[in-house]
Amino acid sequence: MTRIKRRRRTKISLFASSFRGAHSRLTRTITQQRIRALVSAHRDRDRKKRDFRRLWITRINAVIRGMGVSYSYSRLINNLYKKQLLLNRKILAQIAISNKNCLYMISNEIIK
Amino acid sequence: MAHRRCLQSFVRHATALISLKKPPPLSTFEILTSKPNPVITPPNLEPSWFTPLSHFRHFSSSKSDDSENEEEVDESSDGEAENDEVAADLGRDYSPEEKEAEAAAIGYKVVGPLQRSDRVFKDYEPVFAVVQIGSHQFKVSNGDSIFTERLKFCEVNDKLILNKVLLLGSPTQTIIGRPILPDVAVHAVVEEHALDAKVIIFKKKRRKNYRRTKGHRQELTKLRITDIQGIEKPEIKTDGKPLKAAVKMPEKVATAA
Repeated sequence: MTRIKRRRRTKISLFASSFRGAHSRLTRTITQQRIRALVSAHRDRDRKKRDFRRLWITRINAVIRGMGVSYSYSRLINNLYKKQLLLNRKILAQIAISNKNCLYMISNEIIK
Repeated sequence: MAHRRCLQSFVRHATALISLKKPPPLSTFEILTSKPNPVITPPNLEPSWFTPLSHFRHFSSSKSDDSENEEEVDESSDGEAENDEVAADLGRDYSPEEKEAEAAAIGYKVVGPLQRSDRVFKDYEPVFAVVQIGSHQFKVSNGDSIFTERLKFCEVNDKLILNKVLLLGSPTQTIIGRPILPDVAVHAVVEEHALDAKVIIFKKKRRKNYRRTKGHRQELTKLRITDIQGIEKPEIKTDGKPLKAAVKMPEKVATAA
């Protein structure tokens, strides 16, 4: 019966209602694009954790290199572990962009 | 991280410019100033969960979790087959309140009494603290709300004290914990126990006729941070204006008359 197919397909097309062009209009492409979207979301949820860590590391690196000639992210992390600080990279990156001086003070404290 | 957690933890008030001045000397932890004051403090804070120091990455919270799992295994009865999940233990109704306090300490919180007609919510103060709950760290200040993993043993409208604080900051002072700060309290109130938005876990292997769909909603707790204690807070100069207004009014009246 048509109405069963229609019911199933409306649910699927609701998911793809914000897609571009034929991907939100044609039923067969809608099912395919929905599957691809869900697979991407699943894979990228794990990637998101990696991506953010990379971003934080890049940001910390950029701010820390402004401190001295041969000071870098790797040395900062080494000193952090030596002095037993538990601050993680997310927080360090937030501190780096909100108030740099705080991060400079932390790193000066750690260098000693 | 979930949607709700990402949005809430990234909203921050702009901090004022940092002007540094000499703080009073405190003995138990390091304070930083612009001038290098020789405030040498013993770096070896040894709380109960901080097992022998090593220069490797073992002092992170994962090791403390291992030791706590061992404690739970030792104390539980033999009726329970697997003691991996605390959820299984909670179903047994933690009747001795000591166990509740212990598990609360594992999650780095202490449950205070329920609040009734307490004036807990203050205005914003430009002080922040870095708090660790479970394995997540948050940079919080007064009035923030954070989403954490579901905290057991506390209900809505419970006051919590978060005692694993790693860093305190204000426009005038920065206090660094090695690794945590003792005698610092961050007060929070449990706003709600909620479920996260649904994520659909979709697995597919192409050309192999394999696809699986599953929905998942993570259990979260929303905390609202009410107070940070343990650092000097800069006084906001609002007392001058109302006083001046009050003084000016009688003067105007006198001159008019």
